[in-house]
Amino acid sequence: MFTIKRITILGALVGASLFASACGSPRAVRGEDVAGLDDQAMGTGLDQRDLKKLLSENMTAMQSSAVVKRWEGEDSPIVSVLPIRNETSEHIESALDALISDIETTLVNGGHVTVKSLEQQPQMMALVKQQQGEAYDQGTVANWGKQLGVQYVVTGKVFTTDEKFDGERRVQYYMFIQVLEVATGAIRFQNKAELTKAII
Amino acid sequence: MNSQLLIVRPSSQRVYLLCAVALLFFGCAGHSAKTLQARAALDAGTPEKAVALLNKELKVKSSAELPTKEKKDTTLLVLDRAMILQQLADYKNSSRDLQYSDKSIEILDLSRKATDEIGKYLFSDDVGPYKAPPYEKLMINTVNMMNYITIRQLSGARVEARRFSILRKYLKDNNNSAVTMGAPGSYLAGFVFEKSGKTDEALRYYDEALEHGDFKSLVGPVRYLQGIGSYSSDRLTALLQHAAASSATDNSPEATQATEGTENMTPEAGADPSGTNSTAESTAATDELAKFSIANRPTEILVILNYGRVPAKIAKRIPIGLALTLGTLYFSPSMGKQASQLAAQGLVTWINFPDLEPETRKILTPSVKLDGQYQTLEGALNVADETRAQYEEEKGKIIASAGIRMVTRAAIGQGAKAAINDPIWGLVASLGSQAALAAADTPDTRSWATLPARIAFLRIPVTPGKHQVEVQAQGQTMVIDVDLKPGGWKAVMLTVLR
Repeated sequence: MFTIKRITILGALVGASLFASACGSPRAVRGEDVAGLDDQAMGTGLDQRDLKKLLSENMTAMQSSAVVKRWEGEDSPIVSVLPIRNETSEHIESALDALISDIETTLVNGGHVTVKSLEQQPQMMALVKQQQGEAYDQGTVANWGKQLGVQYVVTGKVFTTDEKFDGERRVQYYMFIQVLEVATGAIRFQNKAELTKAII
Repeated sequence: MNSQLLIVRPSSQRVYLLCAVALLFFGCAGHSAKTLQARAALDAGTPEKAVALLNKELKVKSSAELPTKEKKDTTLLVLDRAMILQQLADYKNSSRDLQYSDKSIEILDLSRKATDEIGKYLFSDDVGPYKAPPYEKLMINTVNMMNYITIRQLSGARVEARRFSILRKYLKDNNNSAVTMGAPGSYLAGFVFEKSGKTDEALRYYDEALEHGDFKSLVGPVRYLQGIGSYSSDRLTALLQHAAASSATDNSPEATQATEGTENMTPEAGADPSGTNSTAESTAATDELAKFSIANRPTEILVILNYGRVPAKIAKRIPIGLALTLGTLYFSPSMGKQASQLAAQGLVTWINFPDLEPETRKILTPSVKLDGQYQTLEGALNVADETRAQYEEEKGKIIASAGIRMVTRAAIGQGAKAAINDPIWGLVASLGSQAALAAADTPDTRSWATLPARIAFLRIPVTPGKHQVEVQAQGQTMVIDVDLKPGGWKAVMLTVLR
């Protein structure tokens, strides 16, 4: 049995606690302070962990490929890394831009090539990005390499297969990394890494 | 009687808690009321003020900011802001807002809980996060493609085109009628892929556009693309055959005066206000064919016009008798009987539900001049009519859910009365609980109310060099000078949401 007074107090307490929980403001945290913060997928886009995985697979394949043996036979050829094309259904351009530096780092630390960074030539970078957005082909890539004065260019593209079904969405990513020889336009290395993200 | 000693049965504490929680969480003004001032500012031709009002509602200092805290209306407010930013030619922020809303709606759509659905039938129509209707989802990607095309970022436009395509396929596979609103999106996606050098993809999208739209402006591009690509379909073939037949007929002397008058899906789009240039469709098509020769990549201008505004949802009261008639198909027999009994007893007399505001905004005839010459616009979509049609499809369900809430409220009131062993306090508890739930019942007036009422295109091949484009819609004029290289293109967009 309850009295009105008790119910009023109980109601006020419940209401206050619910109100407080509803109004709790978000707080800033560090990745290392919250276990598994970087592990949780927040959407179907590519996050740091996905990019690391895709790139690591591709770069590992490159390190053991014929193109590296070829570079070892040459006198530290000059290589540039061009932006990776986004051919997906997600706006991941900035994430892909971040990969340029990662690829450059891997190449520099590998010690087989001399890396000429496109970041030091912002106008060229802007031109490449604009032309990449519009119609372009392999010949165009080789042409950029000539303009940059490099022997090889590393570039790539990311594709998706995207499906939506009964309240679920699945995005399968395929990242291709290529090494092109500027003089001939020939592809000297190509590898594909895969990854799936979904909202289920 | 001493209230301290009032005996209350355990069931009634749940009633009180229910009412308290209802008032605490759902007792607020509807979305339409919140955005009324912003919409009034748009009608008054002051989009800057409209954006400022939305920013205030979103609790951000400027349009450069996205809200940090997600509330149930946030996504919709950001969508509203995106369209107004497009009107203000702030395409980058408009695009960012659309991306944000697109993602939010996707997550909300997939995460809507069963409790939200229960709440919808118990407490209030607008419980839970916003669930965008399919046509609004299609329009998010369509409108964002417009932004990307205008700022000439084809990579971003292709992402939007792919997102649009996934949704369109999903709707088509599920026989959703909203797929008919995909025509302008498919048209723009085709344009994006054509300009990206992806010929077959472009043809596929144009084929889709022709499924729901009569785009004579595609004759030239399809002819050009089929010369360099491999994709073909019955619709594309029919388009070219029809254009060729029209061209042959129009070249005969007796047909020189003929006009078909079927060029535009919206009759008012593209009419020449001065009446001095009533361009015949087939003549335009013949001219286009000449300029889109297979050998040369066309130099062209695309004009996108978004004008007027779709009707917003507003709260409306209707007599219970009318509600029972309108919602009859959606009431279960027992629920319908209960509602009829309550109505007969005079316990409830009115029902609140969201309706579309009456069409009071005048849609003026837009016009485009190229180098001083009026051009014929192509009506791509009458968004307002489609919005009304989609709403009419759902109207019965909406009224029925309002009726169910009404019955629930009355039942809770009766429960409260029965739970208290005192006739006066029982009546007070009954009226109090019903009043609390009635106050919390807000009709769901949430909708993307800043969508344009009409979308129209003009796609015209031009000679390389300098040109002047003058676009006029809803009393607003924009003049742009363009300088095109051979094979180049330029998109010009005017959005006027009043």
